[in-house]
Amino acid sequence: MDTVTFIDVETMAGTETHAIITHADGSFTSMLKATYDAQQATLPSNSSIPQAGE
Amino acid sequence: MTTSYPGSLDSFTNPASTDTLSSSTVPHAAQHDNANDAIAAIETTLGTNPQGSYSTVAARLSALGTSGVTFSQWRFTSSGGETSLSGSDAFSTTLAYTAGAEMVFVNGVLLERGVDYTASNGTSVSLTNALVAGDIATVASPSSFSVANAIPLSTVTAKGDTIVATGSGSVTNLAVGADGSTLVANSSAGGGLSWAGQPYANPVLNSAMDIWQRGTSISVTSASVYGPDRYYVSSGAAATYSRQATGDTTNLPNIQYCTRVQRNSGQTGTNALRFSQAFESVNAISFAGKTVTFSFYARAGSNYSASSNALAVNMYAGTGTDQNLIATGYTGQTNPISQTTTLTTTWQRFAYTGIISSSATEIGFVFDFTPTGTAGTNDYYDITGIQIDLGSVALPYRRNASTLQGELAACQRYYYRITNANQTPLGTGFGFSTGGFFAVIPYPVTMRVAATAIDYNALSSIQWQGNAGGNTPSSVVLDSNVNSIYSAGIDVNKSSSFSTTGVYSLLLISGGYLGFSAEL
Repeated sequence: MDTVTFIDVETMAGTETHAIITHADGSFTSMLKATYDAQQATLPSNSSIPQAGE
Repeated sequence: MTTSYPGSLDSFTNPASTDTLSSSTVPHAAQHDNANDAIAAIETTLGTNPQGSYSTVAARLSALGTSGVTFSQWRFTSSGGETSLSGSDAFSTTLAYTAGAEMVFVNGVLLERGVDYTASNGTSVSLTNALVAGDIATVASPSSFSVANAIPLSTVTAKGDTIVATGSGSVTNLAVGADGSTLVANSSAGGGLSWAGQPYANPVLNSAMDIWQRGTSISVTSASVYGPDRYYVSSGAAATYSRQATGDTTNLPNIQYCTRVQRNSGQTGTNALRFSQAFESVNAISFAGKTVTFSFYARAGSNYSASSNALAVNMYAGTGTDQNLIATGYTGQTNPISQTTTLTTTWQRFAYTGIISSSATEIGFVFDFTPTGTAGTNDYYDITGIQIDLGSVALPYRRNASTLQGELAACQRYYYRITNANQTPLGTGFGFSTGGFFAVIPYPVTMRVAATAIDYNALSSIQWQGNAGGNTPSSVVLDSNVNSIYSAGIDVNKSSSFSTTGVYSLLLISGGYLGFSAEL
């Protein structure tokens, strides 16, 4: 199960909030929190592609 | 009465129901006499065995009409001065000839075509020299005829039609295809050939499952992730998407690898294991309004648990731009191909044809394996050689790129991972504060868009080096302002570690990796 933490990171442009997603295998994905929030709005559970048998 | 036949037709008087045997109008004996004479005349005229090898005389005559040739003759006696021959002759025969095959005589002398006369329209002849009164002009011409075992011209009806064999000694017409299409062998077609779209690059990237930048075995649990390059996968149960050798050079066109879509042994979840690929709009628009054939090779594992060994196969089209097919679905979504195929444990090629809507700006495909019961050791299916062709024929399998390096580059437009061999340099940069430095990492190919996410296995596998030494960072993130399709801008952070005048290198160590995603 993925876990998500948000961290404030100092960048050249100043402080930004990034999402750090820790995956079940221990690996990480990092992206801007705004990008993460946009992806959450389009989860596969919202997909209009029906699964077989649906 | 003596019969007049065959010189002319007889005229008989039939007896009425009231006539007696002694009738003076139709004497009985005379009736028999007349009928016998007429029958004898007919027999004499026909001769013996008039039908020959045919069942009837009519059948024999009919055969003569289609396979034989008759020679017509038109005769004309001149009144003097005629330079054109046409119309009816003295025997009520209308002049008609097969242009180029006619022979024209005057008083028995054969004239030379194009010199002494011209004849082109089949109904009139123009003479160079006028006839003299009393001349006899004759036009002789063979009829058109059919040659046994020849293919009649009527087999073809339009420009570009092609005569193709449907079997031994039989042919049919294959109507010409669309402009630019290609004639290909097709054993499913009656004539063994079909017109297909131009054979161009297979638009499916990583169709032979060669490229696995994220690793050759991807574990998935209740999530949707990218697995083998360009394939978006998901599962409701613990599943593994792994690269396997096909191990078959008989039923596959020498494709080395496949993807194994497997529900892990012992799992009881029965939501579908999905395997999909969506094309960005720039690669999808060329299919709008076209007939396409979607093909792939697949086989089932020995414990494949889907009911009836089914694998659902769907192709979708949409009218949006660069949408993630599984995550969001398509705007204006249509489903031009919706099939359920039945797998066996032997590799087979499957092909399905559909029509993409004329307004489509997106296409993608989805395979769904819906497991049942508890997974056994081999609850999987293998798939490879996925292809999309224009037209209704699955052409021989081919990759998108002509080389493996080209295929890798095509995939790196969407995702690029650097994996450590030993102290792999990633890029260099400068300190922008005591808490961080900015590094530039160039991409090997231009990305689809500036990367939106990075991934790595452990911060301890990433290290910076500067004049004052090095360490592992506390965070590594994409710089939101300085980031492009050509290179990544990375902010590397650790408090009180950098100088604003310092120059630093970023490295991978200890089997680490760093990936950049520009996926749909």
